[in-house]
Amino acid sequence: MIMDFETLLSTLPGFAEGLAWTLFLTVSVLFFGMIIALMIVPCRLSRNRAANGFGLTFVFVFRGAPLLVLLFLIYYGVPELPIVRDTFLWHAFQHPVFCAILALSLNSAGYLTEVIVGAVRAVPRGEIEAAHVAGLSRWTVIKGIIAPNAIRLGLRNYGNEMIFVVKATSIASLVTIQELMARASGVYYRTYDPITPLLIAGAIFLVLILALSSFMALLEVRLSPELRRKAERARPRAGKTAPGLTAVDGPSLPQTPGTGR
Amino acid sequence: MNWTLFSIGANGWGDELLWGFALTMTLAIAAYVIGTVIGLFAALALLSKSRILRPVSAAYGTIFRSVPELLILFLTYYGAALMIRSTFALIGIDLRVSLDAFTAGVVALALVHGAYTAEVFRGAIISVPTGLREAARSLGMTPFVTFHRIVFPVALRYAFPGLSNLWMVMIKNTPLVSAIGLADLIGQANTAGQNTKHYFAFFTAALIAYLLVSAVSLWGQIRLERNLTRHLPKQGSWSP
Repeated sequence: MIMDFETLLSTLPGFAEGLAWTLFLTVSVLFFGMIIALMIVPCRLSRNRAANGFGLTFVFVFRGAPLLVLLFLIYYGVPELPIVRDTFLWHAFQHPVFCAILALSLNSAGYLTEVIVGAVRAVPRGEIEAAHVAGLSRWTVIKGIIAPNAIRLGLRNYGNEMIFVVKATSIASLVTIQELMARASGVYYRTYDPITPLLIAGAIFLVLILALSSFMALLEVRLSPELRRKAERARPRAGKTAPGLTAVDGPSLPQTPGTGR
Repeated sequence: MNWTLFSIGANGWGDELLWGFALTMTLAIAAYVIGTVIGLFAALALLSKSRILRPVSAAYGTIFRSVPELLILFLTYYGAALMIRSTFALIGIDLRVSLDAFTAGVVALALVHGAYTAEVFRGAIISVPTGLREAARSLGMTPFVTFHRIVFPVALRYAFPGLSNLWMVMIKNTPLVSAIGLADLIGQANTAGQNTKHYFAFFTAALIAYLLVSAVSLWGQIRLERNLTRHLPKQGSWSP
């Protein structure tokens, strides 16, 4: 039961709306996830036992919990609690979009925290010491030495995290949000053709993610002088370099065990 | 907190949840084993000189790592039987196949896992020192024996951190199968919630179960890694 071309055309506006929802969810989750992560990172980097323990627990819980469990817990479970049921919070937790963004952001923040912490720890120790010796203030060191280095070092892992967020938004379809996945299922229930709509949605996701990952690869080359020089050097004899070893072969972070991504 | 909710037997949901948990773990292990085998072959295809195998494997990896797992799961569950049937119809055979939810779940998760595993194995096989391979070849080992006796065991050790990360990913992907109607841990927690209106308790229990599995896996991973590398000199973390 493969649908005909006309039916297919009539479904396309729906897919466009679905794409808009997917993009909206992605951007919101990237934004709120980053905000939450930036609140947890200082805890993780602090020498205070309690703060560090809180950071570790946050990361363990939100990274160890499957996204779907988190989403269902927030969407179905949390409104039961008296503190939510009897206050204005109830209206927020009633709303699937709010719940989806909250669940996805918390999950993303768990991963992001470790990405940022890893990047900050990978900043060469000597540069920070030199800056301190030169008499730069704490804030200037963070702004001028640690942040630019960490952004460069963490960019690739952040790109991977962005890709996971794009893919993860598909889970929002399970709480009635009409994003791409939900549109595809909707078309299936109307036409009894499971293959075409799912392949269309899949192709859209594929294009989205390929575009995102090539953009991030370009950005990494732009931001890293040593990679830029390497890419420029590689260009004249592009035919000779091994495939996959040209541009994106820069410094990478050590893998932490048990990150699960 | 009402603990009788979790009691075993007709009054509580304890046994249902345990069955759900068993299903989740069976599914995760089955998909992990199958997916790892797929990933190994995909990695070998990526590293081969074949003009056909290499692009096919690269395309497989790109597609299955870019498309959401949920979509692949739906496509497998709703579409695979139809696809197989129309393929056989082309050569004039009317083959009626049906894929039950469990098989579809295992196949879909294994395919996704295989795509990631291929990258892990590819990196691990590349990092095996060429000297080992050359030595084995010069001793007269056939390419197969070289791979089987020399390259693969060393590569497996390099691949270990990646493989254990992917086990964590696998555990966290299994709840998706509840979307195709399987009574896994989340499916059971959902049913229990619908019947008792205590969603919070059941989903929290499920969450804790998953965190426990994560913690145990992490512990096992550290133990295994120590065991795998016990012959290597100790200087911080081992490295190739």
